[in-house]
Amino acid sequence: METRSDEELMAAVQADDLDQVVPLFERYQGPLFNFLYRLTSDYETSQDLTQTVFERLLKYRASYRPGQPFRAWAYQLARNVHTDHWQRQQRMRTADVVEVERKGALGGAAFRHTAAADREQDLHEAMAQLSPAQHEILVLHRFQGFSYEEIADMLGCTAGAAKVKAHRALQALRTIYFN
Amino acid sequence: MNITPNSSECLDVADLLVDYAEHSLPPAQTAQMAAHVATCPRCQERVAQLQELGTKFEAAEPITPPLALRVNFMAALEREKAALAKPESEVREAKVVRLEPATSEQSGMWWLRIAASLVLLATGVLLGNLWRPLGADVAGISPVATTADSRLGTLKVNPAVPSLSASDRIQLVNEMAGEVKGSADPTVQALINTLNFDPNTNVRLAAGQALYRLRDDPRVREAFVQSLTIQTDPNVQIMLIELLVALRERRAVPELERLSQRRDALPIVRQQAESGLGQLIQI
Repeated sequence: METRSDEELMAAVQADDLDQVVPLFERYQGPLFNFLYRLTSDYETSQDLTQTVFERLLKYRASYRPGQPFRAWAYQLARNVHTDHWQRQQRMRTADVVEVERKGALGGAAFRHTAAADREQDLHEAMAQLSPAQHEILVLHRFQGFSYEEIADMLGCTAGAAKVKAHRALQALRTIYFN
Repeated sequence: MNITPNSSECLDVADLLVDYAEHSLPPAQTAQMAAHVATCPRCQERVAQLQELGTKFEAAEPITPPLALRVNFMAALEREKAALAKPESEVREAKVVRLEPATSEQSGMWWLRIAASLVLLATGVLLGNLWRPLGADVAGISPVATTADSRLGTLKVNPAVPSLSASDRIQLVNEMAGEVKGSADPTVQALINTLNFDPNTNVRLAAGQALYRLRDDPRVREAFVQSLTIQTDPNVQIMLIELLVALRERRAVPELERLSQRRDALPIVRQQAESGLGQLIQI
């Protein structure tokens, strides 16, 4: 069976052949779900956000530029969805003291879904204390396997700058994790 | 632990420490770093910590997305396709009906829903009669068939073209599953038939998901095992494998073995079958 590239499939989706989105969903639901899970540490939230990413992908298919790397575009959608979510959370937090308390006591409950997640819990709790930008760059590089060049494209900086940012984020994580 | 204060040398090498810890520096810089680290307990500790973090990152395992994600996405896709197929004015009207049924219209909607339930039930009954797996329990069908009135006739002419749109059928499947009462409810059989024979993949996915919620009914497990042998769509195959593994249904093992070796199956289906097999065999 011939395998069509992400970009070919997305071009077909853009031309209203919507069924072509199914193989794209197949390829990316795992990576995008994991990306959002690493950022939010919440299973249900990650499911909702991943769903939103794919819905936006369909809805805004016209904004995909033919030939543009699909992976980068899909992650850009995911980053935007996460940013929207994060800002909503911030507003709720300042408005609702109970929410702050809930978040503060989140701890193990957020990771109870899998044994693997249990083992990684301390790492994730440390990562959650990083700034959002540092958290994201580590997730992109360490979990999602993006190169510094690809991250540079996303962040609008040079590859060198992306590398320095990632290294500093890792150093910041080291300080949090081991202290 | 013996900790010396940060020297200016420590600050000079700070940005290289990660690369050094991960052995990705060129030889000349590596030698320079090694010379500093050898004399600096603080940097030694940092290197060890960075290496420990690196190991932790590598050990992190990907998490399997929830099955509901696939089902919900397929439903969203169906809505988008329906929207594409209809002219603008109809779309607006249809969206109100589909997404947020207004309470004021509830009474009017009821008739439509009941009628629609009958259509789906009738489709299920009809198809169930066409296809009876060996040894499958088809009890509970006949009383329903009598209530399925004239619409059954229309369906008989062309069972492949039900009169409801796919997204309406998905919604219906979910509503019907929520109303099932008792273990002999004929709705379960209708859902099983929808899972097996609805022409639309996404409706079949919704039926599978709905049945999983009704998994206490013994017919459900049997139906999943049987259905896996006849489904050809990879999405449905993958869903069934996931559900059967979640149910720890060992009767699925022979079919999973067959699927994992089929050359014409998509690689992702073969992988899923293999991993499902691995999990079921361990149980």
